[in-house]
Amino acid sequence: ASPLGSRAKMRICADGGANRIFDEMSQMTNDLDRNRYIPEIVEGDMDSIRPEVKRFYSSQGSKISDKSHNQETTDLHKCISSIRHRTPDHEKANLCVLVTGALGGRFDHEAANINVLYVFSDMRIVLLSDDCLIQLLPKTHHHEIYIESSVEGPHCGIFPIGAPSTSTTTTGLKWNLSDAEMRFGSMISTSNIVDSDKVTVQSDADLLWTISLRNLT
Amino acid sequence: RCASWTSEAPVAVGDADQIQFLKHSTRTRATINCNFSEHAPCPMEPHHPRRAPTAAMDPPSPAGARPAMSHSSAFLLPSSATPAASADAYAVVVLNQRLPRFAPLLWDRAQVRVCADGGANRVFDGMPELLPGHARDDVRSRYKPDVIKGDMDSVRPEVKEYYSNLGTKIADQSHDQDTTDLHKCVAFITDNSPGSDKSNLCILVLGALGGRFDHEMGNINVLHLFPNIKIVLLSDDCLIFLLPRTHTHSIHIERSVEGPHCGLIPVGTPSTSTTTTGLRWNLDNTHMSFGGLISTSNIVDEDQVMVTSDSDLIWTISLRH
Repeated sequence: ASPLGSRAKMRICADGGANRIFDEMSQMTNDLDRNRYIPEIVEGDMDSIRPEVKRFYSSQGSKISDKSHNQETTDLHKCISSIRHRTPDHEKANLCVLVTGALGGRFDHEAANINVLYVFSDMRIVLLSDDCLIQLLPKTHHHEIYIESSVEGPHCGIFPIGAPSTSTTTTGLKWNLSDAEMRFGSMISTSNIVDSDKVTVQSDADLLWTISLRNLT
Repeated sequence: RCASWTSEAPVAVGDADQIQFLKHSTRTRATINCNFSEHAPCPMEPHHPRRAPTAAMDPPSPAGARPAMSHSSAFLLPSSATPAASADAYAVVVLNQRLPRFAPLLWDRAQVRVCADGGANRVFDGMPELLPGHARDDVRSRYKPDVIKGDMDSVRPEVKEYYSNLGTKIADQSHDQDTTDLHKCVAFITDNSPGSDKSNLCILVLGALGGRFDHEMGNINVLHLFPNIKIVLLSDDCLIFLLPRTHTHSIHIERSVEGPHCGLIPVGTPSTSTTTTGLRWNLDNTHMSFGGLISTSNIVDEDQVMVTSDSDLIWTISLRH
């Protein structure tokens, strides 16, 4: 999380995510100075963030964006909307949103977070965990995925989570798909292997791409 | 028994030169929040679905035509509290992730216990940790898998030997790379359970959620591949199982161990019509899809939840700590 944080232009904590930064960031970096890791914004319905954490970040200049009146959207959705709103149009094409803490845990939360990728399909949003990352490949585009083999791979997969695919074609994988059908209840691509520095994917369905992350010690 | 599983042999790559990369366009949405459900009054991205107005023209779905399937998490109750019969036979499958805290309880409940490859390491290491008051060897011999199955590339040699010496069958399937470990275990259990009627069998799977996302998806796909077998994937935080579209579903809620957070997720195919009762935000002939509305952070409001859908759904409910 520390390398990601130091590269980011904007850092947002979704509600209890602020607790996580407060408690865990300094442990990871051996840096007792919490002041180095101040989010620009803390956003959400504020039912998880501890009061002392909220006070600390507020006193350090974080904007506290209380959206507790809006119970219709998840915290991640609110954050993505907020980022989108604050990004000038000319920068939108180069924007990539990196999300930690969206996978694992409660399955309905994970599903809702994955759904945010579909709802905001014109944005680059990457969900990351210790084990892997996932990203949406919208059907409207032919995709080129550059593999950073020092940090990711070799295990990967492609999933038609929203709707089946009648035709998907890939290159760069150990088991490539060639005009293949993919469907839950039939074949989906799991435990595939990246075999090249570049993977390409083209499909008639929105697909979820995942690749394993190497343990960086 | 299961839908045909097409095993994809490695396919030769077509000629891939001259691939034109299209930069992702910034397609603007007219209103980011109103991009689904045309009949709903512009709710935000649905965290939980609002009750959609029932379209007057739609005929009532013929729910009565489908057979009923009932579901219960009574297996999570402490053994003293179990009612006489929820399922007749339980099997436990342990995959290669940290054991949830209730692993000993489920293991005790089961008649068959299968470890998928590295799941054997997890039982070997994890059961004594969950039962710290007992001698390690006592715990290990008590919680001894019947079978260790899979391609054997994760199970530690000393673990394999330990259980083999205690009588565990080692079923090496390294030659079969076309199916996931969970698929192999489910096939094994159904092949070896008595009788052709599997309706009283319930397979409880530990370690199928979290971790590598492609593993999780492969495990969820096993639910779709075996729609007539009750298979429950469990973690410390929640459980999930499939509600096949071929049935109307009655889910009994064990409030002492599960809830209140729940959801219905159309994995793999959108649902044009789902109807529920018993939830805080019920669905009423509602359309659900990724990119649109899915039911998450819902709440169970009654002891019985009923679900009818034209599409296979994944039901999920949180587990109490």
